Amino acid sequence: MEFGIFTIGDVTTDPTDGTSVSEHQRIKNTVEIAKKAEEVGLDVFATGQHHNPPFVAPANPPVLLANIAAQTEKLRLSTATTLITTTDPVRIAEDYSYAQHLSEGRISLIMGRGNTGPVYPWFGKDIRSGIPLAVENYNLLYRLWREKNLDWEGKFRTPLNGFTVTPTPLDEVPPFVWHGSIRSPEIAEQAAYYGDGFFHNNIFWPTSHTARMVQLYRQRYEYYGHGTASQAIVGLGGQVFMRKNSQDAVKEFRPYFDNAPVYGHGPSLEDFSTQTPLTVGSPQQVIERTLGFRDWAGDYQRQLFLVDHAGLPQKTVLEQLDLLGEEVIPVLREEFAKNRPAEVPDAPTHESLVLRHREGRDPIPGGGEGSRAFADRQARAAEAQETGAERA
Amino acid sequence: MSTRTITVLAVTTSLSEDSSTLKLSDRILAEAVSVGESTGVTVRTETINIRSLASALTDMALTGFRSEALEEAYSRVAAADAIVTVTPVYKVAPVGLHTLFWQLIDEKSLVGKAVLIASTGGTPRHSQAGETALRPMLSYLKGIVVPTTVFAATDDWGSIEGGRSLTARIRQAGEELIGLAGDLSGIAGASGPARADAAARADATATSTGEFGRATGRRAPSIDEEFDPERITPFAQLLEG
Repeated sequence: MEFGIFTIGDVTTDPTDGTSVSEHQRIKNTVEIAKKAEEVGLDVFATGQHHNPPFVAPANPPVLLANIAAQTEKLRLSTATTLITTTDPVRIAEDYSYAQHLSEGRISLIMGRGNTGPVYPWFGKDIRSGIPLAVENYNLLYRLWREKNLDWEGKFRTPLNGFTVTPTPLDEVPPFVWHGSIRSPEIAEQAAYYGDGFFHNNIFWPTSHTARMVQLYRQRYEYYGHGTASQAIVGLGGQVFMRKNSQDAVKEFRPYFDNAPVYGHGPSLEDFSTQTPLTVGSPQQVIERTLGFRDWAGDYQRQLFLVDHAGLPQKTVLEQLDLLGEEVIPVLREEFAKNRPAEVPDAPTHESLVLRHREGRDPIPGGGEGSRAFADRQARAAEAQETGAERA
Repeated sequence: MSTRTITVLAVTTSLSEDSSTLKLSDRILAEAVSVGESTGVTVRTETINIRSLASALTDMALTGFRSEALEEAYSRVAAADAIVTVTPVYKVAPVGLHTLFWQLIDEKSLVGKAVLIASTGGTPRHSQAGETALRPMLSYLKGIVVPTTVFAATDDWGSIEGGRSLTARIRQAGEELIGLAGDLSGIAGASGPARADAAARADATATSTGEFGRATGRRAPSIDEEFDPERITPFAQLLEG
């Protein structure tokens, strides 16, 4: 199981003293946060993709990820999320391939649709086509990373004739892809169809609903024959703020919570903590809450925490990372490993994916022979043939 | 001719403990029960006071996040056969809190449901607010709104004449609501004598009832259905566009 942090790169005024950092400073801080993540023993740093203020998460995440890759050794670098709807799949294929080479295979992606309506038209797209865009664009990306001299045509971009991505993925194995969604069953289905991972940000929704999404993905993963439901690749987010003493954590975090982008000026910290996985308290409380995710999500592969938003000072964020690295993650690693069935896979790495590829175990989109999906297709085809024969 | 229970849910915005809006809501529910008794239908009534959901509604508007209480309220709407929506009118429009409740509910939440609009206001000049603001909104949600709306101004509570005409409107609206809810649930008895013509028409074109009924499954799927692996659209179909 891998542990890490994810950031949305918001530039938010610190509500306690009215100070703001510049975009430049926030970008530099982000790199410092990533380096610190490696230093304290986290596995993953993930960045969002943004095109609008008040965010300075990169418009093209590989720019940031490659820079961090150059300054770290082991840290795995991910997006959270890559906008599959408004970014040309050809550029995603090329840019992330390149970053994958530079980072020696430390890159992975979480695909997301983006929920900011105005962004879509800036790239000639329409938010009402969010799902069809995610479906078509990812299908193209999937093929670009696996086929040479590709002929392709679709609804949302110009056709391709004999196109080959440069560079092709490292060791001919594309970066691992997760599909992220808060409440669209289509995206859980998409992840299952390809045998990719499913990531739920787990921040804005009651746990009972998130659990349903995860279960849907797991069952469909099994349906498509990529493994049993318990072997599906699940990632979860979470949001924490810690101090040794839980009252101190609540007192210090409250003004940031109350004024935070997205949920600020809405529910109380207490309500939000009850109804969502937000945990503000001691490291022990964070440990207990996070371990509880396994009760409804099953044994999973990736846990990312949001720690650097809402105008929290950089010093505070770095302290959060110290607490995560020293007190929380080591315990989580140990506890999550306990009673974890042997057949549940670890988080995919470039090495594990290369091995899988060489052993001919790559997932077959839509389900290969032996899967229920395959059998259903056969049955439907036979039925259609019968009907055809009757007509003839 | 099966007898069954019709559940009538009042979605009422009562801003004070004992408001005229709540009084109106209670009177309409009592009337629904009485219409049920005279037509051989058991009518069960429930009330949601939107006041108790005020913070949850603004939270959801700001964050998209549905509290458990709000989730439960929307489930109760889904479970009801008929809805009575009762709101005070401010400045010739239903109070914002009330419309917010209907603005944040899922699309098609009222498919197959009989709906009655009622409102209260200081003067008769507010009487058209339900017609102009709520009827289109509730129709948009696929509710089937009965023709009569009930509006009660201060005069209606105070004068003998006003009181009588309010009682008559409540009676009329109650009959329409229970009659329609009965038709939609396939309870012939619910149509009663007052609705004999309408019932006859409904019988003659039995399929038209089905079209609005929940049997056709046009209601928006519940969250359980949405994430049911057996019900979701297979990805191959999504890929074909």
